[in-house]
Amino acid sequence: MKILQQYRWVILPVIVAGLITLPLWGPSYWVLFILLFFLYLAMAQMWNLLVGYSGLISLGQQCFIGLGGYTLAVLSVYYGVPIWLSILIGGVISVLFALVISVPIFRMRGVYFAIGTWIVAEALTICFASWDYVRHGMGLFIKPAYELSLNQIYYAALAMGIGSVILVYILLRSKLGLGLMAMRDDEGASETLGVEIFRSKLFCFLIGAFVTGLAAGVFYLYQIFIQPYTAFSITWMVRLLFIVVIGGIGTIEGPIIGSIIFVLLQQVFAEYIHVGLLLLGSVAIIVMLVAPKGIMGTIQEKLGFEILSPRRK
Amino acid sequence: MQDLLQPIMNGILLGGLYAIIGIGLSMIFGIVKLVNLAHGDLMILASYLSLVFMMLLGVPPLVTFVFAVPAMFFIGFVLQAYLINRVLGKGMEPPLILAFGLSIITQNCLLLAFTPDARSLISSLSVTTIQVADFLNIPVIYLIDFLIGLVVISLLHQFLQKTYMGRAIRAASDDEGAAQLMGISTKNIYGYAMGIAMITAAIAGVLVGMTFTFYPHTGPQYLTIAFGVVIIGGLGSMIGTLLGGIILGLAQLLGSYFLGPGLQLLSGYLILLIVLTIRPQGIFGRAR
Repeated sequence: MKILQQYRWVILPVIVAGLITLPLWGPSYWVLFILLFFLYLAMAQMWNLLVGYSGLISLGQQCFIGLGGYTLAVLSVYYGVPIWLSILIGGVISVLFALVISVPIFRMRGVYFAIGTWIVAEALTICFASWDYVRHGMGLFIKPAYELSLNQIYYAALAMGIGSVILVYILLRSKLGLGLMAMRDDEGASETLGVEIFRSKLFCFLIGAFVTGLAAGVFYLYQIFIQPYTAFSITWMVRLLFIVVIGGIGTIEGPIIGSIIFVLLQQVFAEYIHVGLLLLGSVAIIVMLVAPKGIMGTIQEKLGFEILSPRRK
Repeated sequence: MQDLLQPIMNGILLGGLYAIIGIGLSMIFGIVKLVNLAHGDLMILASYLSLVFMMLLGVPPLVTFVFAVPAMFFIGFVLQAYLINRVLGKGMEPPLILAFGLSIITQNCLLLAFTPDARSLISSLSVTTIQVADFLNIPVIYLIDFLIGLVVISLLHQFLQKTYMGRAIRAASDDEGAAQLMGISTKNIYGYAMGIAMITAAIAGVLVGMTFTFYPHTGPQYLTIAFGVVIIGGLGSMIGTLLGGIILGLAQLLGSYFLGPGLQLLSGYLILLIVLTIRPQGIFGRAR
């Protein structure tokens, strides 16, 4: 463990280099597997930023997943906008939507915030399912995505996954990150010491919306088909929650470990989705009972092992 | 104008059913300080239990209360005593995540056991209506829902006010430490409270099964209804819960009347978001 930690700036680049060159030497099955891993990682890392560091328990990240996906579908299919530009606009629309809903949502606290975000997502599902423009609940085929090769989508996913980790790392080591962690530990005390609570939380919420929207765009390039009941489904939250909880809330490495476990389980149980979900539910409960801090949280506590520490020495 | 009477009446009657759905969530929220995200799914579990008893014994749905109520009390007590109590007091996320896990497990167990097909607890009551005027019919099942709603809420109120157990539950909810000093085993009390909440869920489950169709995945939909009732009505007020249910029922059916049936749920959600924004403690709730 000590050795791992000492040589992390050697080991990490090697792993990253391996992932970047993966399409050159790895079988396409692996490429697909790692692609999904990166996308879940990006979304989970953002949820971790909200729950683990900003104290915002959002159960409505699927709003941004649906908006990102639908923007891509509508712009590229209806108007022939280039794919990558559509995805970027999807991210921007997610941020705008987050900004609009933040006005009422940020008046709610704790549990009410969780319920409020969830209800917003449910309301969006109904809006999209009864909207003629996006073909109701029948969904849209994102045909332009067929032009892309798997490798192109892979590199977009890689950029999202690694980018999200770097983003959170930089964010947490900045002044904002210090403020966030102070706020999470004691909101009242940190406010007296000059942490701008509202602005910091809003900033994290918007960043989370942007990256989640982008990652969703890339996900729907791979998925090809988008439909309101799956795009805005609470199932997304189930996945993100399990990834972050099993990995360890409030650690940067947690979502990485969690995403690997999740994608592996998903592949193993691909044909028995419900058994897989059942297992995820049980694992999350067991983790909460045995080690509420998750795998990485517990390892950090017991062994003091951290690869990407948000603390500055 | 006469056309409006039908949705208004159905909305009010449906409100009674919504109040029973919400009261269990409200109790646990108030007493155990737990947002039971599995409440809707456990309610649907009761619908399926009732279905099993109906098929096994060939009894009408209302009779299955006799079996579903004790079964759900037992399930609730065991869940609270052996699972949820262990994560209480460890911060906000662990209980929330545990409940979420329970919700997923319940849904998928139901799916594996009963397939995703729509089910309902059919009886002659489900299709009978009473004609009041040319333009106004009362569906008998809605009337039953409403009356049982009134009975459950007033019984629960009496129980919490008058019995020793009820007072102990309220004491544990007001001040856990002081209740323990008075010799109340709060963990045990939480178990009974969850059991009682599950009794209301069992009653709600059977009634929902008789009124609508249900699938293994309908739980979260009723959870949002329960949230709606609790948030509109406010925490810890029985009258508030009943009125919350009625307001939500009216919002949904009037929304369906004016905007079309597809948007029925949307109008309920909008009312909910408006209340959450303006008065997060609920219209009838005490400010904390």
